[in-house]
Amino acid sequence: MTTAAPLAAPGPARAGGTPALHVSGLTVSYGGLPAVDNVSLRVRQGQVVVLIGETSSGKSSLALAAARLLPAAATVSGLVEIAGTDLGKLGSKQARRQRASLVGYIAQDAMAALNPVLPVGRQLAELFTVHAGLSRTAAAERAVAALARVKIDGPARVTRAYPHQLSGGMRQRVMIAMAMALSPPLLIADEPTTALDVSTQAEILALVGELQAETGSGILWITHDMGVVAELADWVAVMYAGRVVEQGPVQDVFDHPLHPYTEGLLRTRRDLRTGRPGAPLYQIAGSPPGLTARRGGCAFAPRCARRTGVCDSTEPELRPAEVTANTEPRATGRLAACHHPLSPETSEEAVTA
Amino acid sequence: MARTLIRRLGFGVIAVLGVAVLSFLLEFVVPGDPARAIAPRAQSAAVLANIRIQLHLNQPVIIQFLDYFGDLFRGNLGTSYVQRQSVTSLIGPRLATTGWLALAGVIAEVILGGGLGILATLYPRVRAAVGAVNLTLLALPQFVVGLLLLLLFGFKLHMAPVTGGAGLPEIVLPALTLGLVGAPWYAQIVADQMADSLASAYVRTAVAKGLPDRYILWRHVLRNVLSPAITMIGMDLGAYLSGVVTVEVVFGWPGIGLLAVNSLQNLDRPVVMGTVIVGAVAVVFFNLVADVLRMYVDPRTREEQA
Repeated sequence: MTTAAPLAAPGPARAGGTPALHVSGLTVSYGGLPAVDNVSLRVRQGQVVVLIGETSSGKSSLALAAARLLPAAATVSGLVEIAGTDLGKLGSKQARRQRASLVGYIAQDAMAALNPVLPVGRQLAELFTVHAGLSRTAAAERAVAALARVKIDGPARVTRAYPHQLSGGMRQRVMIAMAMALSPPLLIADEPTTALDVSTQAEILALVGELQAETGSGILWITHDMGVVAELADWVAVMYAGRVVEQGPVQDVFDHPLHPYTEGLLRTRRDLRTGRPGAPLYQIAGSPPGLTARRGGCAFAPRCARRTGVCDSTEPELRPAEVTANTEPRATGRLAACHHPLSPETSEEAVTA
Repeated sequence: MARTLIRRLGFGVIAVLGVAVLSFLLEFVVPGDPARAIAPRAQSAAVLANIRIQLHLNQPVIIQFLDYFGDLFRGNLGTSYVQRQSVTSLIGPRLATTGWLALAGVIAEVILGGGLGILATLYPRVRAAVGAVNLTLLALPQFVVGLLLLLLFGFKLHMAPVTGGAGLPEIVLPALTLGLVGAPWYAQIVADQMADSLASAYVRTAVAKGLPDRYILWRHVLRNVLSPAITMIGMDLGAYLSGVVTVEVVFGWPGIGLLAVNSLQNLDRPVVMGTVIVGAVAVVFFNLVADVLRMYVDPRTREEQA
């Protein structure tokens, strides 16, 4: 980490091999307006990368682009490789055949993401009839096994149920079973626990953690919930207005946020957990800019307490940052896009005080 | 599910009775004397009075009402004033004739409308053309479509019979007329439903699963179009069975609609009542059948109404 030039796709230094997901210079725009702006990201095998950001930060567009599921109205440029394969470079037929064994996609609203008029078993089994060429009976057996794998009680009975007959948590388990059915090296989860109550959410997170330990696949998990980050993530990337503004190992980022936006997110979470009843909760003033309101300079500047003239004129680049915690320098692979990053001392103070 | 059906059936019976009572009373508001219609040239008051006595027309309305509905509950629809034949035996064969036409018409509607709807959804380039066809068909009244077809295929091209009748060659043009006039409705509902389905999260899931486009279309998209289409088919079958009057008149199709028109002109009250009641029963019956089928294709409708 000696060069200040933007790195292709930084990730943690410890794991090797082909990354599960390699995104480089990805831009997604709708009608010329960029929702995702030149984002680079890497998910190693066996690693959980959590992408956090507010509504309209572009995190769902990034997830859909990575899974190649964006509607035709979106313009995509940049590189997306899943386990070394760029689905966009394959013919449509090849891409279709390979995609489910490369990437599993878990949607936010499982009720909407499952076909309402087909039993869930059929929706699972069709993966095996189409991709593995299994007979209907053999595929049905595999569907039962897939449901058992996500710890559903009485999986045979559940295969005959329709989505509306299942609870929210069960539906999300079915989605997870579907995404993992062909054991892809990469899972992309777009806020899969947002619609669930807290205890179901915890169950799902625990389940994903277990399955991931078993299979060793990489996970890109999208959320706006810092609690989920703490629970699940190895690595966290913070998105704001279509760009990654900070990323690094989760513990480092939590201990010493560099970007004022990250620090703000962490403070809101701390207030929610430990705030006294009746005490005002911390909030980041203002709201993120919409697609049409993007401007020059740092997108977060209008909401930032550390803003100076340079923030309005020059867009900060995402560059490596060395954190000197307790005077001991550590190369952590951390990146931040800020002209005035918090020093460990100030961030320490800000978060724990 | 069974409770839903029984309740629906109960409502159906009430609806049919309501229709029967209303149309019975309506017949007494309509000006005209059935006795004069039966014997138009009879000058003598005695002859007319005699006819009235025979048909119980001299009785107070309430007595006639009770007589008629008493018979109705015993399954007796009465005797035609004009044809001296039981209404049941008059309507029976004509109901079958109209039934064939209704079925053929609905099949034509579904094929034409469904085809147009699918075409417009899958091929954006023909969407405007399909829209224009739909609008044109919507603007044309049934009898115009019928007469145009009759002119073209019957009189000009001699491909279809023009003399009327209820055989297989004769069914083509009237069924096509029903199909053309009904198609835009089906096209619209199919296109709307498909657009919703194609934009849905579950189709995105299917794409993510790497399923072939055609597979997604048949197994995931069109399955979700079935439910509203079935409702429309049920409504159409019921409505057509109560008489496709215009089409039957244009093509000389000896169905229940033609019978109803003739009886109305002759003030043949028992036959008019018979056709109205049979029509009401058909509407109730086919809507009920559609509901049951919908429960079969869309599991969500099974529980919500229980």
